[in-house]
Amino acid sequence: MSKNAKIILILLLAAAVLSVGIIFMQKNQTPSPVARITLDGELIREIPLDEVEESYSFVVDSESGSNTILVEPGRIRVSEADCPDQVCVNQGFISDGTVPVVCLPHKLMIEIVGGGSEFDAAAG
Amino acid sequence: MAKGLRWGRTWTVLAVLAALTLPLCVGCSQKNTKMETSIFAMDTVMDLTFYGVDPEAALKGVQEELVAGLYSLEEKLSTTKETSELYALNEQGQASLSPETAELLTQALELCALTHGALDITAYPAVRAWGFTTGSYRVPDQAELEQLAAGIDYTQLEVDEQEGTARIPQGMAVDLGAVTKGYAGDRLAQQLEQVNITSALLDLGQSTIRVVGSKPDGSPWRIAVQDPAGEGYLGVIELTDLAVGTSGGYQRFFEQDGETYWHILDPDTAAPARSGLTSVTVVGPSGLVCDGLSTALFVMGLEEGAQFWRSHPELEVELLFVTEDRTLYITPGMEEMFSLGQGYEDREVQVLQ
Repeated sequence: MSKNAKIILILLLAAAVLSVGIIFMQKNQTPSPVARITLDGELIREIPLDEVEESYSFVVDSESGSNTILVEPGRIRVSEADCPDQVCVNQGFISDGTVPVVCLPHKLMIEIVGGGSEFDAAAG
Repeated sequence: MAKGLRWGRTWTVLAVLAALTLPLCVGCSQKNTKMETSIFAMDTVMDLTFYGVDPEAALKGVQEELVAGLYSLEEKLSTTKETSELYALNEQGQASLSPETAELLTQALELCALTHGALDITAYPAVRAWGFTTGSYRVPDQAELEQLAAGIDYTQLEVDEQEGTARIPQGMAVDLGAVTKGYAGDRLAQQLEQVNITSALLDLGQSTIRVVGSKPDGSPWRIAVQDPAGEGYLGVIELTDLAVGTSGGYQRFFEQDGETYWHILDPDTAAPARSGLTSVTVVGPSGLVCDGLSTALFVMGLEEGAQFWRSHPELEVELLFVTEDRTLYITPGMEEMFSLGQGYEDREVQVLQ
């Protein structure tokens, strides 16, 4: 084998190891879903959902009203609200980043980030 | 001979190594920046995502123009803002219109006519009477419903697109909620195409989604379809460069005396449309058509809706119906895009012909 061929071989070998390494790293990013709760765009609380061991709930008060948020291992929902339309309560639990829970009258939003999602959006 | 073999092996090794480095190249060539923002507009939350190769400042400018475009449409088309063109039309019986409003009203009326009034943009007084605009829900009695139904008639709305004017008889009112988001999606997609953005997902509040091109890696966008009877996803639609409109009775509704009443009203009765369907999803090139048609087909029901689809191939729409007995009915084109979701693999799917 010529010297040039050896150099090319070694360079390719190095590049191959590097790219396999990159693929490996990308696959190994473990998803850790975090629920972000915002009021009119302002972040008020973040909850890492895979660290939740026991269910609990708390109340978020705003000028326009209040929402009770129920947190369970891996999922979250609005369980009670004094908004007129109850759309946020009717939506039930979310457990991935596909769609947020939204209470329009109170401008409250719960979205899950960092957990990855099988889908880009949901129609409904 | 022996030497030739050895060289052959070396080339094989080289080729394999070269192939292994391919992901590196893919990694380098993707200089796409992801831009994402969520805004409250048109009584919903909208999530706008797009990818571009320009400097971030330029992309930020594009994003601001999208948001400004949405707010400007909302200013013109809101039924509750006292400064909107639609508010003026509803209050005074006539109004002068901006070119956008005139265009949307004209196209909406065409869709009303095409669906023989299954979509009727003059149902607003009935929607209001049920409390769906405020959340102060109530069930109107039979006499009131008859009176409301008599007042729903899109043919009474006159729009002059050239002059930019519209008139409507007293007591009637227009609501473009069934088509505005679809129209907005079309306009935003045009805005993006003008600045050479070829990858975008415009989620205009779940009921209306518009995608531009494919994902940055070239694969189609994956849009889940909500199970009307639960919290899961029935399946996924994979699509590029198309719009999706969905209507169902499960998002805006209320219960009274054991009855469920939802926000999609049958223009003939002024009461919630009970056609045996729980949701309708429409995919096609026009956001406005997908949006408005999902409502109209929900009102029509499966049989009439499928017949409408057969009669109007020019609309280029594909459909997914879900019936109360949980069966899925899909058109052949939808069958190519749709696959059942996890936990729904044994759901019955009928292909319409």
